[in-house]
Amino acid sequence: MKALAKKNLADALALLAGQATVWVPAKVAGVTRFAPWSPAVTLDLEATPPAVSPKEILLPETESLYRYSAYGMDVTFEAVEQEVPPTIIWGIHSCDVQAILCQDDVFLSREPQDAAYAKRRAATTLVALACTTPGPDCFCTSMGLEPAEHASTDVQLHILTDGYGVEARTARGEEIVARLAEKGLLVETIEPPAKAQACTRAVNPEGIDKKLVEMFEHPYWDELAATCLNCGACTFLCPTCHCFDLTDHRRNAHEGTKIRCWDACMFTEYTVMAGGHNPRPGKKERVRQRFMHKLRYFPERYGKWQCTGCGRCVARCPVHIEITDVIKEVGEVTLDG
Amino acid sequence: MGEGQRELIPQSVTVTKIIDETPDVKTFYLALRDQGGRCSAPFHTLPGQLAMLSLPGVGEAMFSATDGGDHLQLSIKKVGRLTDELHEMAEGQQVGLRGPYGNGFPMTEMQGKNVLFIGGGIGLAPVRSVVRYCVDHRADYGKLHLVYGARTPADLIFLDDLTKHWPAVEDFTVSMTVDNGDDEWQGHVGFVPAYVEELRPEVANTVCVLCGPPIMIKFTLNVLRKLGFQPENIYTTLEMRMKCGIGKCGRCNIGHSYVCLDGPVYRLDQLHELPNEY
Ligand code: SF4
Ligand code: SF4
Ligand code: FES
Repeated sequence: MKALAKKNLADALALLAGQATVWVPAKVAGVTRFAPWSPAVTLDLEATPPAVSPKEILLPETESLYRYSAYGMDVTFEAVEQEVPPTIIWGIHSCDVQAILCQDDVFLSREPQDAAYAKRRAATTLVALACTTPGPDCFCTSMGLEPAEHASTDVQLHILTDGYGVEARTARGEEIVARLAEKGLLVETIEPPAKAQACTRAVNPEGIDKKLVEMFEHPYWDELAATCLNCGACTFLCPTCHCFDLTDHRRNAHEGTKIRCWDACMFTEYTVMAGGHNPRPGKKERVRQRFMHKLRYFPERYGKWQCTGCGRCVARCPVHIEITDVIKEVGEVTLDG
Repeated sequence: MGEGQRELIPQSVTVTKIIDETPDVKTFYLALRDQGGRCSAPFHTLPGQLAMLSLPGVGEAMFSATDGGDHLQLSIKKVGRLTDELHEMAEGQQVGLRGPYGNGFPMTEMQGKNVLFIGGGIGLAPVRSVVRYCVDHRADYGKLHLVYGARTPADLIFLDDLTKHWPAVEDFTVSMTVDNGDDEWQGHVGFVPAYVEELRPEVANTVCVLCGPPIMIKFTLNVLRKLGFQPENIYTTLEMRMKCGIGKCGRCNIGHSYVCLDGPVYRLDQLHELPNEY
């Protein structure tokens, strides 16, 4: 296997950054999140997982879709063309690679595709990093993932004593590896890569998608939702949550921009209709929607869990509504009849 | 338009005609108008499909559209800020429009069958797009029967269709009712579900197209069941709040189904498979 020594990492990133925006996990104001690499950035490849996922790279928190103007009887709409540079996400873990596959299902798998997402996705190369030391809330193995590698990355980096094993998995990955090799940044090694330690948390989601079909009216949801603050921290941090709002950013009475920004099923107004009817009026309905979506509706629609086991919502929910508990408790519920 | 979000960016269309249907419902004709004043439809819709109407700086809302050949028709009830503004508009005004969205009614599957249309209030708008299609392709469908109800005589929409055009079509029965009559009203008084029961429409080889307020749908379904209609022969449309129209923004789901993409038309047996959350 080829290897990149730790001491060559900065040179490798600098080389790639010459032709692409290279997003790396970095400490930004004390929080580990993805940031475009520059020599000034403080890399943090140890965080498992980075507190903030790379979701925003493919689905920005806000983006402009088009400009509008309305003068008298005339209105115009003009697309805001997005510049999409070649992009590399370096150091993404299995959980967040899996999350991108979930987003691909939503934005690309059914017609019509989402043009802006498609453009960004096509420009993006994934360089995954093995995750061998799980964080306190990790349970990705329970959701069917392997923390040490992901089949759908372009390049997989393995952990070696003093560097990274480098394995290309796609033609795009080959290109990156070839560029690093060409500059003499890679060596051959026979060192076996580090194995991943077991995830901190373990749950068994098997069959709960089917079980949830019978549990729509179950009192469990009242109990679970009672303490939810509808703060949206869970959905905001979740790498697979994709809901968005389209809203007008008015520049003046006549002109403005249509913005797409993240939204969340945890917010009260999310489903309120013009006449005032709200099909999901309370906390119970909203909390139920979130878990049903991840563990039943998404699997029904796209054939995979919409939870990667990254544990971010588990870590950050202020009232400890934890999806690991939900998976466990739904598994334990006895259904009558 | 560039290669940006084609699916999410409206076209400018002109309101070429506005019809006052009732005190709170207007029908808007929307078209692209060229230099010479000739009109063409911004896009074509199947019966039951939707269009997203956009008022710059105000917002967007989804409506059932009726294809008028060289224009689209949207019948819109005043229910909030956006629709209030729409009702203030004059002919000649431009607005934004994008679509078409949703599945539409299975007009091919319905061929050879009798069709029982049941509409309540503004719910006659999607029903009307199906009626017009059946009338335009009269030979493809069996007997047509429309039962329509509104609160008062003043709330009946599409009066010309109800009283002139459709009764003149071969084998087409139009039955109207109002919840509350007035001095001039000679017709039936009573709620739609009871009227349907009283009319005993034909069930054999008949599909039913049912649109209206949720409460009317609920009680009418009970009646249809009593009359012997199978869920496989009943179609209805659902409404949810919508933003994108393409199954991505996540807002309009009922279970795993997105009303904007997989709906708004559902066959009753399919609807029964989904959670009761609409
Ligand atoms: S639901 Fe929670 S644990 Fe699952 S992917 Fe989202 S943030 Fe991670
Ligand atoms: S983070 Fe917890 S409290 Fe906040 S919306 Fe999510 S479940 Fe509710
Ligand atoms: S309106 Fe966005 S998913 Fe239906």
